Amino acid sequence: MLKKINLKGKIALVTGAGKGIGKACAIALAEAGAKVIILSRTKSDLDKVSKIIKKTKGSSKSFVCDVTQLETFKKVLKKINRLDILVNNAGNNRPEHFTKVTQENMEYLTNLNMKAAFNVAQLSSQKMIKSINRKKIGGSIIHMSSQLGRVGCEGRNVYNMNKFGVEGLARGMAVELAPYNIRVNTVCPTFVETPMVKKFFKNKKFKNKMLKKIPLGRVAKENDVATAVAFLAADSSEMITGTSLIVDGGWTAQ
Amino acid sequence: MGIFLKDINLKGKTALITGATKGLGRGAAQAIAEAGGNIIAVGRNQTELDSLAVIIKKLKVKYISFNCDVNNYNLMKEFITKLKNLDILVNNAGTNIPESFLDVKESSMETILNVNTKAVFNIAQLCANQIIKLKRKQGSIINISSIFGLVAGQKRTVYSMTKFGVEGLTKGMALDLAKYNIRVNSVCPNIVLTPRTKKYFADKKYNKYIKENTPINKVVTVSDVATSVAFLASEASSMITGTSIIIDGGWTAK
Repeated sequence: MLKKINLKGKIALVTGAGKGIGKACAIALAEAGAKVIILSRTKSDLDKVSKIIKKTKGSSKSFVCDVTQLETFKKVLKKINRLDILVNNAGNNRPEHFTKVTQENMEYLTNLNMKAAFNVAQLSSQKMIKSINRKKIGGSIIHMSSQLGRVGCEGRNVYNMNKFGVEGLARGMAVELAPYNIRVNTVCPTFVETPMVKKFFKNKKFKNKMLKKIPLGRVAKENDVATAVAFLAADSSEMITGTSLIVDGGWTAQ
Repeated sequence: MGIFLKDINLKGKTALITGATKGLGRGAAQAIAEAGGNIIAVGRNQTELDSLAVIIKKLKVKYISFNCDVNNYNLMKEFITKLKNLDILVNNAGTNIPESFLDVKESSMETILNVNTKAVFNIAQLCANQIIKLKRKQGSIINISSIFGLVAGQKRTVYSMTKFGVEGLTKGMALDLAKYNIRVNSVCPNIVLTPRTKKYFADKKYNKYIKENTPINKVVTVSDVATSVAFLASEASSMITGTSIIIDGGWTAK
């Protein structure tokens, strides 16, 4: 009756896998038995993640890749035979008040969080569809969204725009890829203990204000998000598509 | 438990499941027991409670059953307030009498409202109080909702009224119970093939209606729902509260 989170025999690609949530996802997927292809801009980060995966007797292959460079990503896809799971994770944030957002930051964030997310998802889907038995074995795409893909927050207007967009993209993709038995979902975490958030939380006033908005009174851990991603990647969730798994300690329930 | 992957593990936990004799409730009981949890089954059919006992005991977990109608507040209160162990509630007992809005009978409206809304509220309140009284450090309540808690369906006005209500209750409870570290979520399945819905599936027109509305060309199984319930019950989802896992093959993504 219980379908365990098991990814044996699956090949998963994780973008932004060098640090934070992406790193945790890559390791969690490997722990569930998947062969993981990890992408990051920083080779030293990839090496560290590969080492951890190897230690847990998992299997991985790494590629230095900036996902905003479409041609580089295409080359990575050419080097792999098959793809069953995509964790479309690479993303960033530069908080600024709406009236102060610079053109440069808006372009940078939108190019990464939306354009690259779209391109990576499109190219990966095309690769997934090429497997002749795809309909039988299924596929799963997980976009790393955010609670800020569901509600607004101060200083997060560009990020809000990007992540609400990703929520829309996921639903559209889910409908169009359902005939291939490829599921598409998002994970919407609250603030997670990552290097990026630790930087924001150096501002204690901001940290306390944010913690007050999380009913459970704590930020998410990387393994909370990685486990949700693994659940969506596995057949444990084989009828879940076009929706979001919200890992926010109750933030958006209010 | 891996570095970043949390298992669906319920060893040492005790779950009360209402409507446990058939369909989703029975499946949830089985899945929770497979994950190591002890079972308290509430239902109205002694023969089925006994046949469930055989299945659950084979899994080497504790099983007790209570033959009671969830509408019977006093009996349910007497039973729940005496429980020595309780960590999880699967608030599942529910019913439906499909009728077109203009033809809905007063008696069917009352029947559905009593079980799906009032009893759901009462059982949740009794169990939450008991979990707090037992000084558990954490708890998880899962309300069995439906896609008709999110969108409308033909001949489902009363059902939607009650299930939209359950969605609201879930979020409200999540906020009030967060300080006790009791998480509250719902699962929203598409129409699942169960003993109760078998008669709907026998109707060709209805079958077509379901197929046309479900992008992933499969029927949701009891196992699909039971797996999500077990995931929400376990610490694998320890930052998930006040939200819903939608198991609908993309029905509500359109």
